[in-house]
Formats: sequence, C-alpha cells, structure tokens
Amino acid sequence: MQSFTNELIDLNELPKYEEIILENPHPNYWKVIVINISIFFLIVAIALTLFILFNKDFKAYSLAIGIGYLILVIGTFLLYSASFKKRGYALREKDVVYKSGIIAETTTIIPLNRIQHVALDEGLFARFYSLATLEVQTAGGSAGNMRIAGIPIEKAKIIKEALVKRLDLLENATPSQ
Amino acid sequence: MKNDFSKPQRQSVAGIIIMTANSLQQIVRALAIPIVIFLMKVNKEMMIYVGIGSLLLLIVSLIFGYMSYLKFTFFLNQEKREFVINKGVFNKTLLTIPLEKIQLVNINQSLLQKIIGVYSLKIDTPGGDKSEGSITAISQETAYELKEQLLNGKRENLVDGKTLDTAKEKIATPILKLSVGTLFKIGLTSNYGRSLALLIGFAYALFYNAKELISTFDKDNGQVEQAIKTGLSLFSVGILIGALLFILFAVNIIRTFVKYFEFEVSQHKHSLLISSGLLAKKNTLLSPQKVQITAYSQNYFQKKFNLLNINLRQAHSGKEEDEKELRKANLEVPGCNPLERDEILKMILGQIPQEAKTFKPNFRFLNLPIFFKVILPLATYLILWFNFEIVKPYYPLAIVYAFVAIVMIYISYTKHRLMVNQDLIIKKSGIWDITFEHIFPHKIQAITTFQYPWHKSVDVGHVNLHTAAGSIRFKYGNYTEIKQLVNYWLYQIECGSEEWM
Repeated sequence: MQSFTNELIDLNELPKYEEIILENPHPNYWKVIVINISIFFLIVAIALTLFILFNKDFKAYSLAIGIGYLILVIGTFLLYSASFKKRGYALREKDVVYKSGIIAETTTIIPLNRIQHVALDEGLFARFYSLATLEVQTAGGSAGNMRIAGIPIEKAKIIKEALVKRLDLLENATPSQ
Repeated sequence: MKNDFSKPQRQSVAGIIIMTANSLQQIVRALAIPIVIFLMKVNKEMMIYVGIGSLLLLIVSLIFGYMSYLKFTFFLNQEKREFVINKGVFNKTLLTIPLEKIQLVNINQSLLQKIIGVYSLKIDTPGGDKSEGSITAISQETAYELKEQLLNGKRENLVDGKTLDTAKEKIATPILKLSVGTLFKIGLTSNYGRSLALLIGFAYALFYNAKELISTFDKDNGQVEQAIKTGLSLFSVGILIGALLFILFAVNIIRTFVKYFEFEVSQHKHSLLISSGLLAKKNTLLSPQKVQITAYSQNYFQKKFNLLNINLRQAHSGKEEDEKELRKANLEVPGCNPLERDEILKMILGQIPQEAKTFKPNFRFLNLPIFFKVILPLATYLILWFNFEIVKPYYPLAIVYAFVAIVMIYISYTKHRLMVNQDLIIKKSGIWDITFEHIFPHKIQAITTFQYPWHKSVDVGHVNLHTAAGSIRFKYGNYTEIKQLVNYWLYQIECGSEEWM
C-alpha cells in the first residue's frame, strides 16, 4: 500500500464497516413475510387447482404438480428464513449500513451526505405489528438505493428524523463554505 | 459584460421568425390530416381558397409567433441562484432551473437559424425532460455570455468574470481538433456495432421489400431466396464477405463524417466546449466538475493508429435502459492521441492520473463465464449430436466457438483490474475495446459489497461503486483488500467537503 502512505493515515485505524454490530429487523417482521408469501402461494394454488380442474389432460399429473408446488413453497420459506437471519442495519455517525441477501451476502453503505431523500413506508400487514420500511434514496440509481424493512415504527421515525436533520444540516452548511 | 441577465428580457427580434415558423409547424402538424384530405379533393376552381387558407394560416402563425415572442422572457436570479423562463400565450408557464442542477448547455444552430443568424440555447438537467429550458433565438454573443453565467455563475467567479475580457477568451486555442485524416481513421476503427446494426436493418428492409415487390407482380415462389442462393454460388463467399466489410467500413466512415465533422474541443473560460456537425452545427458546453465518470478506451486497431476514445458520463435519472437519456448525458470525444487525452483528462480531473496500486481478480473470475458460455452450450450441442444426425457436420464450428470463447473470457480476466490511489479510482476492463474508467471517491453515491457463501473460505468478494452516472464493478477481488478500500473510500467521502455535482 505504498501509494497511500503520504497521507499519514493508517488504513487499519479507519473505522471498519464490516465490524459494526448490526441491528436485526424486529422478529415480528418474519410474521409479515410469512403472511405475504402465504397469500402469494394461496393465489398460485387456487389458480393451479382451477387450471387442473378445467384441463382434463392435466388431471393425471396433478400429483406431480402438487409435489412440485410443495417443494417450491418449502424452498421459498427456507430461503426467506435464511435471508431474514442475515438482514441487519446500522446507523453510524456518517453513514447507514444495511446487510441482506438470499444467497450472496450483500452490504450496502450510503454516506449520509449523499442521501437524496428518505421515505417511510407502512405496509398493510406490517402496520398490524406497527412495523415500517425505511427507504433511503441516492442519486446513484435504483441499485444505489436501500430498503430496510421491519423496523419498529417509533424507531423508524427517529432514524428518519435523524437522517432528514442531517440532510438539512448539510444543506445549510454548504452555502457558507 | 454588456448583457445584464438579472432583469427579465426577451429574445432577439429575429426570434419572431423562428417562433412563427414553430407555430406554423405546430398548426400544420395538428391539421395535417384535414389538410391532406382537402388537398386530395381540391380542383382547379378551388385553388383560390387554398391560397386564402395558406395566407390565413401564415397570418395566424405570425400573430401567434409575435405573441409568444412578447411573452417569452428569461432572467437570471442571482440571489436565489436560479434561471427563470416565463413563456406561454394562453397557458402561462414559469420555468425555474436551479443553477447547480445545470450540467450541460447546448448552443445549436439549425438551418433556419443559420439564415437568420441566431442561435438556440438549451439547458440540460439530470433526468428532467419537462424541466428542460430552451431559448430558441439569441445572438451568439448573448448565448455565450449567458452560458458562462449559467455554468459558472458562482458568486466569486462572477466578480472576476466582470473583469475578464470575453473577446480575448474566445480565441483560446482548441485542445483538440479532428482533421479529415483522423476522422477517416476513426471511421475505420470504431463504432462498428452501430453501423452493423444499421446495415442489418437496411439489408432486412431491402430483402423484405424485394419480396413484397415481387409478390405484388407475380406469385412469390421464393425467387429472392433463390437469387441470393445463386448469388452465393456465383460469388465465392470470400468476395461476398469482402464486399460486406467494404460496405460496413464505408457506412461507418460516412456516419463518422456526418456526426463528427469539424469536431473541436476547447476550453471556454471555466467550461469545456465541444462542437461538431456537418449539416447542423452543435455546440455543447459542460463544466468539468459535473462529469461523474471519465472514461477512455482503445482497441487493437486504434492502438496502431495512436487513437483513443473519450467518454464523459454525467448524472442521469438512473433509467439505464433509456437510450435517449443516456445519449444526452454522455459526451463522446471520438478520437484523440495520448497527448490530447492527457490534456482533456487534466481539464476534467484536474490532474493526469498518477501511478496507482493495482488490484487483480482471483482466477475464480473465469468459472461462471466458462460454465455458462462454453460448457453449457457445448453440452447442449453434445446432447443434440447424439440425437440428431444433421448437427453432426457442424462440429468444427463448435470447436472454433469453444476456443474463441475461452480466449475471450481469459482476455477479459487479464484486463479486469482496479487501480486506486489517493485521489482516483480507475477501473480497467474490456476484451476488444479496453476501457479505463476514472472516478473520484467523492462522486460515489453508495457502495455495495457482496460475497457468495462458498467464497468465504477463499476470501473472494465483489464491490459495486454506485455513481450518478452508473456503477463501477470490481469482481472476484481479495475481500479483505476490498473491505479495506471501502473503509478508505467511506473515510474520503464522509470527511471531504467536495460536492459530487
């Protein structure tokens, strides 16, 4: 790392994003996910049943279709539960960190001074458990955005307030420079 | 400065003509179908009505043009740092553009504008279609003065702007000027893809139309296909390929000439002026600090000609599929030599990229592409080979394909590099066109790192740097090094006070 040395920063002294203790989404959010997936699969199941009922040719395969469907349902639930355990977020003094991923483990970091706007979403089922989704958007396009789901609403409001205030602070600070 | 833009003002008086032409065009377009129907039914006695109608149309357009000229005012609000346009005869529109959002100013001249001797000025902001402001008729002098204040109207600049002699600045020698010879070389070496697409489209249309034509006169018994087949057996395939290549190059060269004739890059006070065009002259001005990604690329032929391609990418609304949006935000310098490249890089980055630490990807980079692009197609072919007789004679093609694909994947692996020093991040990539993308850490909007579970033990991971002009990816790097770099970049973004736009 010779090219860095003249700035007198020890790279190992810098705060490490990978070592932050992340906060997990509220356990109740798992229930919301279960409800959402269940509704989706219920609709699929109804559609499949109707399809088999009205297409006599497929009746012979109904067992195979049923098994395939069951495997799909179980697989989806397993993947989601694995991904749910991986999710975590943290608010640092100067950035927001969110970790997620179904197979790959993805960590997104948005510096607070690059946030364009912050939105607070409350889904229908999430509201039963007073949970909310925090959306942080940057100018970096959809890939650079962040959606943190399953934060208790009170806490989400506090985080949003903190982010928005930081935005204001930055905006007020820039003209004086 | 002769012009004080702080008070609302109108366009050049000649603007009336442009406005009239515009409204005439609008009326004709709106009435196109009735007019066509009318003209079809018209006979000689009714010619007088046609004359009267046209005259009426002209008068209405003239009145409308004059009215819109009167109602169109623009001014620069220095206090609020906004450019304001007021327009509309019946529906009034007030357009306000914050100065810091302006990333491009286009000063263009169409044929009509050339005759009258005025210019149009168009303001581009990232992602805004509706919020774009345009002034259709102002003098060249006003256009350049206005542009200067729009792009660099910061308070401190305005003070020395007043003392600067505008005339003297304008004669600044261009950094880059493309000669006819260079244009020829560019046409020979770059942008085959687009010309090829054009050619295929043309050939398809030709084939289709020929079939149509024959089927209207005669029954189509596949004469066209037959003709092509006999043509193929008459000419040797080699000559045919040669002819196709010749046409491709010819199209490419003509396209290059039309688009980049008299291409010139020069420094215009604090901004970069790019002008080109054979038929209509196009002038684009941009301020260097608004450029998000500075990229240059070179292929094997271009290397032999000592040519490079520069691409300046600016913020766009994030709809990467939107071609128009991308073309608007990306500026291209089609050809320059290494010296000129350094000059342009120095203008935009403020420095010529210094030596940097290079990061190489792990050999696992090769796994997925080889599996999906070599093994999977070959396996499919093998399955077909065992089941169908007709595919068997094509096995040399499969071998050639596998060989070429492996070589290409290997080249892309050797060219995939990330170079980092304390000011810049440089990403090298490509197979045929080798591209170097430069970004400043402070242009990064968000960083994503990710790792597959099976790569944990070998410490391999990926990083995406999201900027307002697209993402930069480094794949299969050493994850420990990547994490260290991310921490360093975060430190630079969060502790620096530099604005990304």
